[in-house]
Amino acid sequence: MTTFLELLLGGLSMGSVYALIALGFVVIFKATEVVNFAHASLLLAGGWVTAVLHDDIGFWPALAVGIASAAAVGASVEFLVMRRYRGQDQSVLAIVTIGVDILITTDLTRRIGTDVLALGDPWGDAVVHLGPVTLPQTRIAALVSATVLIGAFLLVFRYTSWGVAMRAAAEKPETAALMGVRLGRVSLAAWAVAGALAAVAALFLTVFPTPGLERATSLAALKAFPAAILGGLDSTTGALAGGLIVGVTEAMATGYQSQLAFLGRGIGDLAPYLVMVAVLLLRPAGLFGTKEPARV
Amino acid sequence: MTASTAPHEAGPPPLTVSDVTVRFAGLTALDAVSFTVEPGSVHAVIGPNGAGKSTCFNVLSGVYRAASGSVRFGDTELTGLAPHAVAALGIARTFQNLALPPHTTVADSLLLGRHRLMRSGFLAAGLRLPAAVREDRRHRERVREIAAFVGLEADLAAPAGSLPYGKQKLVELARALCMEPRLLLLDEPVAGMTADERQRTAAVVAGVRDGLGISIVLVEHDMGVVMRLADAVTVLDFGKRIGGGTPAQVQSDPAVVRAYLGEEEPAA
Amino acid sequence: MSEHETAVPGPQGAPTGPAGPTAPTTPAAAPGPEAPAGHTTASGRVPAQPDGGRSRTAVRGLRPPAARYRLRYALWAAGGVVLLALPFYLDRFWLQAGLFAIAAGIGAIGLNLLTGSTGQLSMGHAFFLAVGAYGYCVLAGEGGRSGGHQLVGLGLPSWLAAVLAVALAGAAGGLFSPIAGRLRGAYLGIATLALIFIGQHVLFNATALTGGFNGRPVEPLSLLGITFDDTETVIAAVPFQSAEKLWYVALAALLACALFARGVLRGRPGRALNAIRDHNIAAGVMGVPVARYRAAVFVLSSMYAGLAGVLLALVFQRTVPDYFGMVLSLEYLAMIVIGGLGTVAGAVVGAAFVSLLPQLLTRYSDALPLVSAPGSGGVSPGEASRYLYGAAVVAVVLFLPGGLARLRPSQPARPPKEPV
Repeated sequence: MTTFLELLLGGLSMGSVYALIALGFVVIFKATEVVNFAHASLLLAGGWVTAVLHDDIGFWPALAVGIASAAAVGASVEFLVMRRYRGQDQSVLAIVTIGVDILITTDLTRRIGTDVLALGDPWGDAVVHLGPVTLPQTRIAALVSATVLIGAFLLVFRYTSWGVAMRAAAEKPETAALMGVRLGRVSLAAWAVAGALAAVAALFLTVFPTPGLERATSLAALKAFPAAILGGLDSTTGALAGGLIVGVTEAMATGYQSQLAFLGRGIGDLAPYLVMVAVLLLRPAGLFGTKEPARV
Repeated sequence: MTASTAPHEAGPPPLTVSDVTVRFAGLTALDAVSFTVEPGSVHAVIGPNGAGKSTCFNVLSGVYRAASGSVRFGDTELTGLAPHAVAALGIARTFQNLALPPHTTVADSLLLGRHRLMRSGFLAAGLRLPAAVREDRRHRERVREIAAFVGLEADLAAPAGSLPYGKQKLVELARALCMEPRLLLLDEPVAGMTADERQRTAAVVAGVRDGLGISIVLVEHDMGVVMRLADAVTVLDFGKRIGGGTPAQVQSDPAVVRAYLGEEEPAA
Repeated sequence: MSEHETAVPGPQGAPTGPAGPTAPTTPAAAPGPEAPAGHTTASGRVPAQPDGGRSRTAVRGLRPPAARYRLRYALWAAGGVVLLALPFYLDRFWLQAGLFAIAAGIGAIGLNLLTGSTGQLSMGHAFFLAVGAYGYCVLAGEGGRSGGHQLVGLGLPSWLAAVLAVALAGAAGGLFSPIAGRLRGAYLGIATLALIFIGQHVLFNATALTGGFNGRPVEPLSLLGITFDDTETVIAAVPFQSAEKLWYVALAALLACALFARGVLRGRPGRALNAIRDHNIAAGVMGVPVARYRAAVFVLSSMYAGLAGVLLALVFQRTVPDYFGMVLSLEYLAMIVIGGLGTVAGAVVGAAFVSLLPQLLTRYSDALPLVSAPGSGGVSPGEASRYLYGAAVVAVVLFLPGGLARLRPSQPARPPKEPV
């Protein structure tokens, strides 16, 4: 039972981190109809900047710069690349983001090489005891930060003019433009926000018990894709639910690995994708996604 | 694809729309709408913008699902059928906003209309089996005939996007005709056309009705065209049927006039 | 105009005729369609090119000028002779590189059918390549111990194993069809990520089939009494080893695959696939069963990948799981975008570009600025080529819609085709 609780809490914590990534992904999709396969590279960029700077300027400033850089990378991808492709077919846009991803990821993995970079976080490997349950401090920090950020994001999305503009742009871009919504700004902001959220996620993907930032971190970040699509690509609620489902599934599959030995080693990494396939078989639009509306 | 081989009796059966209701997230787009399209007639569906005309077409062609009600084409229930299954019954439609790939040649677009009438699958087409080659030739010939009938023969080789708007709408009409339909659904076929093109399109539609004896459902804003072509009219407003009858009856119906001239009607 | 009013319309006979809609009116049998003035339906008569200005984009089926045909045949023949002669002139390094490019060409044609022609994104192509490669190994291999694992091998004749491996890849694609048929475009792209991870998991864990981390050796192909291994046969003073011999098998396979794909694209299925890409609702309304076609083209594309996998295995002579990861899928997507979405030639050109680029950079890394040998700290050839094709993907979509294949001078009048 204790193990189960530990796994559940750990899974929820990782899930909230995946939710952060998936949320950015969904925001970009809602604002610009782009399925952003370069998302993992934004995350890697944020993490790398934090890792490189923390020795010189300290962790918190480094994290701030990292978040700002990832936002800037996101915004520049939108401004320099995606903006010029507006109106292209969705699959073509997705492939363009793959090109961007290849560029950024190649550059960062070349810089990272075979190193494992620490991000210099203040939590270290300390653990917290909650009754019988033992959790790393980092997991608590992740859960708290992600919850705060997601909550803040949802409030902004719901109540500020930017949020309204964004939702209007997602609903009917032409009409929104006529009503004075500046689509360029909306999509720029979406990419920047997504980058910032991804940078925060990068921190929590690389702290204890994970050794640090390495090439493979972008693979871990990929788990946000099943999270986003099993929740429903066009639903922020879906991104949250999907993130948590992926996090808990992964934690459970990893935790009970010995009981699942017949499935082979590393089943924890695979489990989120299997859940995604299962959900898509039952609900092709995801758990909270709307069936694509036919406009003819 | 088996459905396309179903033998057709001579002439189209009646199309009976009864009590069809369509809802989108709280909005009722069609509210218990009923009408019947008599075999071989031109039936116009008119109404102000947002009245539910296009929604109605989307239900008839299987694109939208009705929340309740039924649409019967002869003995076949259409609600619940996928679009391709509806097409297999011999129901063709055009789109209000063009649905023509701009870089595809007119000939290829028209050949797409022949899809349900052709058989070759991946293997036959990939291996260029003689049967597939023969079939292709036969249908290209037929496409040329239909293009000539509509007045597009000279444009077969052109990419659809290079043609003027009016001609593109004609290509859509021709593509629907290429399906050899028993029931033709035309969504604003003359919208955006020049006077000359309107006249030609109207002539084509009249020719189709007279020559083929197929039923036509027509959504159109151009009252001149409606009055000239329609045998019967159904008037929709805010998703409800507010009138119907012959064109002359409808023209003098006060409820219809009100809907059009807009007594205290909020902007659409 | 008036001619249309009086005309008995053309589309007659067929819709109500006793033979039903499947029997299009043969011109002679049509009761009335002679009407539109000036149009004769006498069989076989090809009307004069309708319009001088546009006719350069000749409708397929109408005959382009014979001169152009002749030129094209001449070019094809010359290219063919060069390709056939290459094993006599190239060293093993380049022959192998060429074989990779040919195998990649086959795989890319398959992916282009799916992504370029139907608009369905797939990240799972590497998975089907792996199914083909490992399927062949298991079916043709002899089993026994290798690298610390007991390997399963059915020991089938290798040609049969190759055929079955392709069928197996198709079946694997078919298993995914409930998802491939229902998800559209980029959504499918995300869903197919699962295939990569499933593939990697199986490759590393099902050691009896795959040999695990170290992979398994590949049984050489033998066909018509010739074994495509390194036993030497000397032809015209050139020692023919596996690469030389495989070259011809691979070329033949590529040609067959290209012709088949072209036939599909120009025929009824191709029009249906393009219609799904261009406007999936209209496609359904035109009578195309959208889900069934999406699933079918997914299966077809998997079979192409399977064949590419078999060839790659034969060239490598050993299959290792690391190769079939995410990067490979991305490379295939890069190929079809760079070469040109939706065309067979585009896939082949793109495959050659993406798979030969790293080899070129490796061979000439000394002579190139900024590129240095792997491990020396600079930009390695592999990285340099990834920068290049990553940038190429972004640039081609913007500046060269239609890809490199559209650069050919032989088709100046073709309008740029809608990318995807």
